[in-house]
Amino acid sequence: MRKCIKCGEKAQVYLPQHRLSLCKQHYLEWFDNRVEKTIKEFKMFNRKDKVLVAVSGGKDSLSLWKSLINLGYDADGFYINLGIGEYSQKSYELAKSFSEKVGKTLHVVSLYKEMVPIPEMRKYDSRPACSVCGTVKRYYMNKFAKENGYKIIATGHNLDDEAAVLFSNTLNWSVEYLKRQYPVLPEEDGFIRKVKPLCKISEKESAMYAVLSGIDYIEEECPFSEGATSIDYKMFLAQLEEKSPGTKLRFYSEFLRKMYPILKQSEEKPKLQPCKICGEPSTNEICAFCNLKMKISQKEAKA
Amino acid sequence: MEIKVRYRGEDKVLTFEKDKVKAKDILKALGLSKDYAFVVKNGEIVEENEPITQNDEVRVVNAISGGLL
Ligand SMILES: [Zn+2]
Ligand SMILES: [Zn+2]
Repeated sequence: MRKCIKCGEKAQVYLPQHRLSLCKQHYLEWFDNRVEKTIKEFKMFNRKDKVLVAVSGGKDSLSLWKSLINLGYDADGFYINLGIGEYSQKSYELAKSFSEKVGKTLHVVSLYKEMVPIPEMRKYDSRPACSVCGTVKRYYMNKFAKENGYKIIATGHNLDDEAAVLFSNTLNWSVEYLKRQYPVLPEEDGFIRKVKPLCKISEKESAMYAVLSGIDYIEEECPFSEGATSIDYKMFLAQLEEKSPGTKLRFYSEFLRKMYPILKQSEEKPKLQPCKICGEPSTNEICAFCNLKMKISQKEAKA
Repeated sequence: MEIKVRYRGEDKVLTFEKDKVKAKDILKALGLSKDYAFVVKNGEIVEENEPITQNDEVRVVNAISGGLL
């Protein structure tokens, strides 16, 4: 039987890359400490800032929200109802009941009200559903945060997400993306600062935190994410990790430490201008979101 | 031996040839690796060699999720 390194009680969790065995209580403590350290390391925000957590109802966003509350940060939730049938219905209910349990505000925007649900939107946009969804989420999150006095948007991206993106961007030498792969995107010209406090927490660590905290989260996958290449990269990295624990964390954190500073020197900031239609910051005259909206109304007029 | 598990919001019954089943056998039967999945027995996360019986309440959590990179 493994024993907790802190108290000697029976350990529930073993973290091979950190060579740590921990009981429930000390695991939850370890997790919160790691989140706190990450927030400090990358100067993400402090206890005076109003933080808006992008909540999907999944393990990462709810674990992040819980941890920020435990750590004494001023964090509310933001949920977008994407209108993806039962999946959205269930994830909304879980996000809502979590917010009631912790006594924090969950702001909700519904695509039914604002434009059209994601399954509908796919008819108007040939890009993969995840890209369309990303455009819509980013737009509403930024706009909402700005209009409601939130200084920070925190998302639940974890180490496995970041390592998979890094792997993909490196395989393709997507240098422009690599230059922006940092857990903090600063505020600029109408964009709110965006941070990823779970960037050094693995997907499994995040799931264990949710389970041990008694968080009810949506375990089903979004029906549109099926066959996403990110899964292939994650499975591949998992194989490396199994043979040599700590590979993912080293790959990602050494990129940030050694490679990112070099790439950053040659970063050309894209020129931002207010979108002609909605006024949100954009690299083009009309932003990606308004473009999407126009496509929808044009096709609707034709129909 | 048959063991009932809860996995991704659904109940599943796994059948094993042998009588002594461990947590790692359950992960294997579902095609999962301990790098991203784990077994919760009667509300506690257990290590891979933990014995599992028909009387245990078993939940399997797969932490990997897809979506946008
Ligand atoms: Zn302990
Ligand atoms: Zn616009």
